[in-house]
Amino acid sequence: MIFFKLFWEFFHIGLFSFGGGYATLPFLYHIAEVQQWYTAKQLTDMVAVSSITPGPVGVNVATFAGFTTSGILGALVATTAVVLPSYVLVIIVSKLLEKFRENKYVQAAIYGLKPAGCGLLAAVAFRMFSESFSIFGTLIFLILLYISFKSKRDPLFYLGVSALTGLVAGFFHLT
Amino acid sequence: MEKSFWNIYKTFFKVGTLLLGGGYVILPLLQSELVDKKKWSNHDELCEYYALGQSLPGIIAANMSMFVGYKLTGQKGAFAAVTGIISPAFLSIILIAKILEELINLKFIQSIFWGVGIGVVILVLLAVKEMWNKSVIDKFSMAIFLAAFLLSCFKVSPVLVIISSAFAGILYYIIRENRKGCEE
Repeated sequence: MIFFKLFWEFFHIGLFSFGGGYATLPFLYHIAEVQQWYTAKQLTDMVAVSSITPGPVGVNVATFAGFTTSGILGALVATTAVVLPSYVLVIIVSKLLEKFRENKYVQAAIYGLKPAGCGLLAAVAFRMFSESFSIFGTLIFLILLYISFKSKRDPLFYLGVSALTGLVAGFFHLT
Repeated sequence: MEKSFWNIYKTFFKVGTLLLGGGYVILPLLQSELVDKKKWSNHDELCEYYALGQSLPGIIAANMSMFVGYKLTGQKGAFAAVTGIISPAFLSIILIAKILEELINLKFIQSIFWGVGIGVVILVLLAVKEMWNKSVIDKFSMAIFLAAFLLSCFKVSPVLVIISSAFAGILYYIIRENRKGCEE
């Protein structure tokens, strides 16, 4: 029965949380209240851990909730449930796009939604920047930004360098 | 590189491993892997899938991966991509689930977390630059970009922004066509 419940709750999140990432949070906190799968405190920890473990927050929490309630199988059930609704939708939209890509109205719609996607991502960057940075952090940020203008580098370079910087900064209490 | 199930899975597994600090870095990571290294896709396509991925419910990084996977080899590709992008998240959580609380209180973990935050902003900015080049091409798209940025800063739902911008695109097209019709 627990598997069915897990599936149901996370299927819900997959189907109704629009806007990605942190849009799943209200749903996840709601689950913490109505089910005993994890506490609100555990969820908050989970979100923090998510930023240094691979993968999207939603998947991390689904896996965590499934695993703590009923082991690996539970983790599989919850994780599958959270991506299943959008899997079906993506296949449908992709098929429609294949068929109607040459359509003038579809092209006009895509022409409108691309700059909007860009604007949304710019807002994410702005929010991330304004939320967190200290003076030392801003300095590192500017150095990395300068490097990125000078030459093209692998994303791994930026993540690695910034993680190392974090370690060093933590050691000297600069964070 | 051949677009086999296994190769697609491996590629997305790698991207999934580097997916730190929330799903937003999916775009720069895919740009680097699929456009620069493997030449399986181009910036224009990724830009479109990123926007489309936001307009569907669920997890954006997964949505975007499925769109790209489908584009590569259809349903099989979508399946390979989504399992690939999720696997690292799944495995790492199972590994640390039992020691979550101890882990979060470790000082050096918090320091790494702080540092990675900076790298993530850089990656997101680079992705914005790439998207900007492909999508902001005239006054109309500039207006849409600014509107989307501002609305999002005021916490308007991204789905609403994406859907209304698609309608704005259609409306703009109809107006232009009508004007052409009048001139002729």
